[in-house]
Amino acid sequence: MDKNMELIHKLLDGEVSEEEKKEILDRIDSDPVLKMELDALSMAVHIVEKSERLSVPPSFTSKVMGKLPVRKSSYREKVWDFFFKDRVLRWNMVTAAATVCLVIIVFTGVFQFQKKHSLISHTNISEGSTVTVKFNIYVPDAKEVAIAGDFNKWKVDGKNMMKKQDNGIWTIEIPLKPGAYNYMFVMDGKVWLSDPNAESYQDDGFGYKNSVLKVTKL
Amino acid sequence: MYKKVDKDDMQSEEYSIIKQCMDGNADIYSVLVERYKGMVYNVAYRMLGETESANDMAQESFISAYIALKDFKKNSKFSTWLCSIAINKCRDHLRSKKDTVSIDEIAEVSVSKIATPEDAACNRQISHDIQTALNELPEEYREAVVLKHVEGLDYNEMENVLGVSSNTLKIRTHRGREMLKKLLRERGISHG
Repeated sequence: MDKNMELIHKLLDGEVSEEEKKEILDRIDSDPVLKMELDALSMAVHIVEKSERLSVPPSFTSKVMGKLPVRKSSYREKVWDFFFKDRVLRWNMVTAAATVCLVIIVFTGVFQFQKKHSLISHTNISEGSTVTVKFNIYVPDAKEVAIAGDFNKWKVDGKNMMKKQDNGIWTIEIPLKPGAYNYMFVMDGKVWLSDPNAESYQDDGFGYKNSVLKVTKL
Repeated sequence: MYKKVDKDDMQSEEYSIIKQCMDGNADIYSVLVERYKGMVYNVAYRMLGETESANDMAQESFISAYIALKDFKKNSKFSTWLCSIAINKCRDHLRSKKDTVSIDEIAEVSVSKIATPEDAACNRQISHDIQTALNELPEEYREAVVLKHVEGLDYNEMENVLGVSSNTLKIRTHRGREMLKKLLRERGISHG
């Protein structure tokens, strides 16, 4: 589109300054072809602008109103939207980093929790024909903990006292020959505790459950 | 200045109507339908070229606008927002029509309509001729010409309706006018 036509369209858009208007009108006066173009365009615009506007069918509003869906109340709508509306989650590096940290913290917490409450009761370490078994129990508030079982004739004495670790876990290592052993922990000399992580349990006839350990050759 | 106050009043009144609609008072929506049905119906007619589809699309535009009222932004004009919904409805309708009827068939229908005795009245004939010419414009040019010259929007308002920059809309309007001039000249239509 050449410069003259651009100016003509600006004129039709009503976006010319007085200076530009004078300039284009001067050019049109001296150029019959340009004048013809302006007349033809003005006529096209005029016909469109003045073309008959159709009147809307009389039943239009009632038809629209009849088709409107029942709107939920504003409060219900908000609740509904909160739960069911599709949403896009926007994120940036800070929120991504915070999310990663949160996931790490949660996983570490769960791991620590499991570690405390599912202590490895016994670790088999080979030593000739016997196997050294390490017993553990998590009772951080206990003053003393001992182990009593088939392997020490259920005696609670100095030899069978367990050692407290800094993390509240009490441990003791006992060499055992392969076989099945019943045992329990004794807290503060009076409270008998089953090993929460024993392989199996057996009723002792006094209302308690002995923990059962089966030692096999490695 | 006085006119500006009037416009602001109307905008806040319309916002109040919208709020009441959202609170469950559907009946008050008829105020907005009455106010803008002429604009929406005529835009749809000029975009689609036939009254039946224009009526359907105009009704659907109002219903869609009602459903989407919660997305209406307070700082925008309801008429502009509604007009953009109507334009989108017309675009969808034209696309679905393209899938089923060829362009030639549409042209034939338009021509045969013009030739019917019912359309004999001169002003009606010109109106139909203009519509036929508008139908021949590419969709984007037609939208621009209809909004600019049928509805009398300025380029800023057109920008809000169509979501296209005003510079692009100026180019589309200019080209649309050029094509319209040529088409009307071919049909021997002259004013007066």
